[in-house]
Amino acid sequence: MTTDTKQPEKVSKQRQRADWLLENRARVSVLAALAFLFIVALAGLESKDWFPTIMQGLSVGALTFLVASGLSLIFGLMDVLSLAHGEIFMLGAYVGWTVYTRFDTTVDATVPLLLVIAPFTLMPLWQRMARWLRTLGRKWHFGIWILGLGVVYAAWYVIFAAGDADAIEGEVSGAGAGVTIIVSLLFVAAAYGLYRKWRSNDGSVESVKEAMSLTSWSLLALGGGAAITAMTKFPLVIWDAEDFAKSPSNFAVQVDLGTLAPLPADSFGWPALVAFVVLLLGGSLIALALSSLQTAIGDVAPLTRKHWTGFVAMVGLAIVLHLTKASLNEWVFGLSTTWRFFLAIAVATGLGFAVGAFIEVVLIRPLYDRPIYQLMITLGVGFILIELVREVWGRPEFTMARPAAFNGTGEGCPGQGLGGFFSGCSTVEVFGGRLRVYNEGFVVLVGALVLIGVTLLLKKTRIGMVIRAGVQDPEMVEALGINVRRVFTLVFAMGSGLAALGGVLAAPSIGLSSGMGATFLLGAIVALAIGGLTSFPGAAAGALLVGLLQQIIIRFGQTGINLPFLDEPFKPSPTVVPAAAILLMVVILLVLPSGLLGRSER
Amino acid sequence: MSLLRLEEVHTFIEQFHILEGVSIDVPEGDIVALLGRNGAGKTTTLKTILGLTPARSGSVFYDGNNITGRRSFDIAAMGIGFVPEHRAIFSDLSVEENLLIAERERGDFAAKEDFIFGLFPDLKRLIRLPGTNLSGGQQQMLAVARALVPNNRLLLIDEPSEGLAPVLIEQMMEAIRRLSSESTVLLVEQNFIVASRLAQHFVIIEEGRSIMSGAMKDLVDDDETIKRYLGAGTGGAT
Repeated sequence: MTTDTKQPEKVSKQRQRADWLLENRARVSVLAALAFLFIVALAGLESKDWFPTIMQGLSVGALTFLVASGLSLIFGLMDVLSLAHGEIFMLGAYVGWTVYTRFDTTVDATVPLLLVIAPFTLMPLWQRMARWLRTLGRKWHFGIWILGLGVVYAAWYVIFAAGDADAIEGEVSGAGAGVTIIVSLLFVAAAYGLYRKWRSNDGSVESVKEAMSLTSWSLLALGGGAAITAMTKFPLVIWDAEDFAKSPSNFAVQVDLGTLAPLPADSFGWPALVAFVVLLLGGSLIALALSSLQTAIGDVAPLTRKHWTGFVAMVGLAIVLHLTKASLNEWVFGLSTTWRFFLAIAVATGLGFAVGAFIEVVLIRPLYDRPIYQLMITLGVGFILIELVREVWGRPEFTMARPAAFNGTGEGCPGQGLGGFFSGCSTVEVFGGRLRVYNEGFVVLVGALVLIGVTLLLKKTRIGMVIRAGVQDPEMVEALGINVRRVFTLVFAMGSGLAALGGVLAAPSIGLSSGMGATFLLGAIVALAIGGLTSFPGAAAGALLVGLLQQIIIRFGQTGINLPFLDEPFKPSPTVVPAAAILLMVVILLVLPSGLLGRSER
Repeated sequence: MSLLRLEEVHTFIEQFHILEGVSIDVPEGDIVALLGRNGAGKTTTLKTILGLTPARSGSVFYDGNNITGRRSFDIAAMGIGFVPEHRAIFSDLSVEENLLIAERERGDFAAKEDFIFGLFPDLKRLIRLPGTNLSGGQQQMLAVARALVPNNRLLLIDEPSEGLAPVLIEQMMEAIRRLSSESTVLLVEQNFIVASRLAQHFVIIEEGRSIMSGAMKDLVDDDETIKRYLGAGTGGAT
């Protein structure tokens, strides 16, 4: 019986293989052509050059892959091309640099951030409170409006009109009296407008809605004002890009030399307890404002113990961090740079995850019916992140010192052969070529681990199964009783976390600049298009191709390439590198419209 | 006591008014057939029950609870299984994974395995294959099997006989008859013969309105109604 059934199955398997070849002949021939071209290109190099070139290609490919992998999962599952992804990569690099180089500043900044965010864990409470606000009398609403307007006026006055206390005498500081009077009159006019709104509130559905909207914005101004005021009272050791002693570049150099001691912290502007309470209050008001901006329908989820646990945990963490700051800093600065680097990786990846989750829930989720708006909002978030980074860290580019484990020199260095990767030297000699252990070893290794890890997650776990199903048909997944939106948030957060991880990894090898995100985003989008937009292995293959192509062209730019009909070797300029990647994409898409591994459109 | 009740449901898809007043009553334990011409709104009715195309007005009651406006996953998790029109088998998943993904609690599939493979013995042999490699009939069986994995009290089945060979239609009908001993079924079926042999009750939908309902045995002999609302061809097809 068994032998009878096995025979036809074998035949059908052979036929299946033949069918598969026939169906994928374009794909197979493109891959063959690519392999041939790469071999020809590498054969044109000297033997000491080809191995490093491949490894450098893999290194750039691994970084591109870390951006592309998230992009591919996000695009596949929710049809959102997140243009902020490159900037999350950049943010990861800067945050990683900060944890690594200035851990004390990281702690100082974490405490107020935790306190502002903590009230958001009590969302059902704010939703219930927003409902209660709706039932409030109109004079109360008017009171809140005036308070909000007052805060905006105060902010304007402090920032623009009052001027600098220690401005040089004779210098024009702040706005002139005329401007101050005009703006003040404008604010009075606005107050009168609000008064008219109050009087005309007749309790109808429309006017209640309008009043709630104004109240929400006023609360937002109040909360924001409170939070920002309290934050300026925190003893943040912020660097100054203008002052070399306090500039990021100087800090980076000092870590390399091992001479950095934590800067003395300034003292609090307010008693710590007051600052804490004001920050919590500010966060609560912002949370309340955001929940009353939503036109809530349906039931409010009950406030459970889980919410309170989250809240208490965050506030507790903030307090503990604040109290143990001095000894914590001492301990972390005493660690070897290798451990600090792993800490930086963990913090930046975690932050990327959190930022991703926040972007998905707050900005992307309300716009699922309007894909173009989603695209624009991710683009906008990207620009905001660039400006944020420029504002905080300054415009100049700087480097991140390589961790000690990858920076050894002296006796026995460079390491020899493949074993040399583990010798602790900064470089290693393999097949006659010189490689950097960090760039061509560690980065490639992490890229490979992420590829394996995410593949296993997709293939072996239930959540991976849901993601693969959701890529194809999210509606059906939802109809099975699975909360697809939660999966969306998770995948967006995961993708952002991977991009941030890529950023930290990139920092020691390519340095930090506010343009790094855009470069890698372009590479990742090209990789995605080459690989087939929604295919995860495709993203990996595409990233690899982009990396290899770029490095081969850069290498030929140095050594020159002998072309027929030309007397001198042709040296492609480095500026054609991005163009070459796009050219590769164009050629591949002309032959294979759905990319190397993408599913053809049906 | 009715398990599912729709009261004057109106549904829009974008600006199009698709359902203009649908009222349905599905008694627990029975099979109800939703009849009507192509484009009458039968599929939209099923999707509205699940909240995939939410009702703009009117109410849907399931097991005595008003479920209008709830999220789809929430509604489904209350015990409603859905077999969509074009099967919606996940092609990247194996047959086994297609069944496992429907689990609401770990072990759901293991508990129902014998029942499911008793209904569709073919699936057992195909368990490792990817979803794409199935024939239309096998996909339909898998789609029904998937809805049976969790303990669903209500099944919404859309066009189970569509595109199947007569032998397979017989097999599918037998399966539905047997599974109806475990769950209540709301069935959309173009093939009137299939519908009339399975269902105890019928509802006719015409241009987005439920215009007629009653016992199936009364409709079977009412040639005029069948001709008028279900199209001339339907009565004699296959």
